[in-house]
Amino acid sequence: MSASLSVPRLEWLRLWRTGRLLVLVLVFTFFGLLGPLTAAYLPEIIGLASQSDGITVQVPDPVPADGIVQYLGNITQIGLIAVAAIAALALAVDARPGLAAFYRTRQPHPLSWILPRWAATSLAAVVAWTIGLVSAVYETVLLIGPLPVGELVAGWAFWVAYLVFAVAVVALAAGLARSTVAVTVVAVVIIIGIAIIGVIPQIGDWLPSHLVGAPAALASGGAEPGDYVRATAVSLAATVACLAGAVALVRRREL
Amino acid sequence: MTVASDLVLSTAGLIRSYGPDAGVLGVDLEVPRGTVYGLVGPNGAGKTTLLGLLTGLRRADAGTIDLGIDRRRLALVPDVPEFERWLTASEVVALAGTLVGAPPSPARITSELAAVGLADAADRRVGGFSRGMTQRLALAAANVGDPELVLLDEPSSALDPAGRAAVLDLIAAWAERATVMLSSHILADVQRVADVVGVLRTGHLIYQGPLQTLLDRYLQPSWAVRVRGSHEALLERLRSADWVEECTDLGGGLLRVRTRSVDDGERGLPVAAAAVDARVVSIVPEEADLESAFLALTAAGVQP
Repeated sequence: MSASLSVPRLEWLRLWRTGRLLVLVLVFTFFGLLGPLTAAYLPEIIGLASQSDGITVQVPDPVPADGIVQYLGNITQIGLIAVAAIAALALAVDARPGLAAFYRTRQPHPLSWILPRWAATSLAAVVAWTIGLVSAVYETVLLIGPLPVGELVAGWAFWVAYLVFAVAVVALAAGLARSTVAVTVVAVVIIIGIAIIGVIPQIGDWLPSHLVGAPAALASGGAEPGDYVRATAVSLAATVACLAGAVALVRRREL
Repeated sequence: MTVASDLVLSTAGLIRSYGPDAGVLGVDLEVPRGTVYGLVGPNGAGKTTLLGLLTGLRRADAGTIDLGIDRRRLALVPDVPEFERWLTASEVVALAGTLVGAPPSPARITSELAAVGLADAADRRVGGFSRGMTQRLALAAANVGDPELVLLDEPSSALDPAGRAAVLDLIAAWAERATVMLSSHILADVQRVADVVGVLRTGHLIYQGPLQTLLDRYLQPSWAVRVRGSHEALLERLRSADWVEECTDLGGGLLRVRTRSVDDGERGLPVAAAAVDARVVSIVPEEADLESAFLALTAAGVQP
């Protein structure tokens, strides 16, 4: 009987025993529950605040898509930073030289450890995103009103493509920097940089950052799934490019 | 290109420069199969760089490395081994074997951990291990892949005397089934287990060969000669002999005699004592050690 510790099991233990999967799920679920709550009671909250100042502020009644907008607004910042940090903990192999020597001398090609770590972290992020979205949808339906299921599923898939790309950016950052903190910072800077470039209308529709607003836009009827095909294709191509770049950079780097 | 069958590893003109006197500057290494090769030299001599080049963790500027074995049969134990802190010792050994294509059986894992004295810690997470336990776990993780060549970088430098002795015992046992290359600046450790040594100084290999040859070549042999009664006549005769480099009267009838060669001493001392009718109690050769040989070698300004 063999007692081998397979690479998939290694990655599962990395997510489970370190509590990283739990952290991701808690972060996304928290904002999944908070977002619709905020959207549903925003008029009352603002109304109460304005009364104390003697000013009357009229806030329109919330629509179901607002619950998703609030959820996305939170996870696009804190959620993505959590994903980047947790991905960096897995992908910054060279942050600990002794550990790097353990893997590099046994598996000389970096693809053999970059690919499973990227895949496992991406899967964890997708699980967290899904649980968070289901929480947000459930509470939105409960507090505000029904949401279109088909559009939400499409929006979910576009975000999956974005998360997979974001984790690949962290892999690339791990080829550019060594320490976990530095890898996280470089990855977040790249992701923010792409989002800033995405403000330019002619370019923005092509960039991965365009996918961030897809679930809300689709749920509100303000967009069609076809509007995100280009950005999805670019995201998937960029994911492959980031992973290839990560492998090339790590392979060139010495301990 | 394959190495000669009696060599498990060789390099030719290996260079990785970090400056005029830093790095590895043209090393022709020859590691005979089935030996314990001790790579010695002061801090900064290039030992870790050389091991990094041999394991592919660093790239050479020039030169070649010829490995006479499958690369997966080469194991490295770095000077500061690290493992995933959330794995148990058993899982680390299992992972180490799996990654080199040799997934071990539970019995093999148990036996590897027992061999390094970690049987009781098999199910403990390694994040709580001491430095010595981690070092021993690294030896188990290296051995589980049945390596043909094991490279150890300063394996005992951070251990207490008991830990050092245990690690050296493990290396000696290892040498029965694999070639071991041991890098260390603790020369006593190298002398205890190595039969071939390479001496690195500022990136150059200034000596490579059997340990005993190094001791014989770079240490002038000396003897402690104890004489009962008067020893002046013997002292005078030895000081006038051309094969005696130095003869010191240590008092109490004890002379320290340094000769040109072992042969001169072994043949000449009894003859000289007999010639002056000295009452010799004992003639004891002074033990040569690697540290003295190393100092003699480096003091002699030997060029690579």
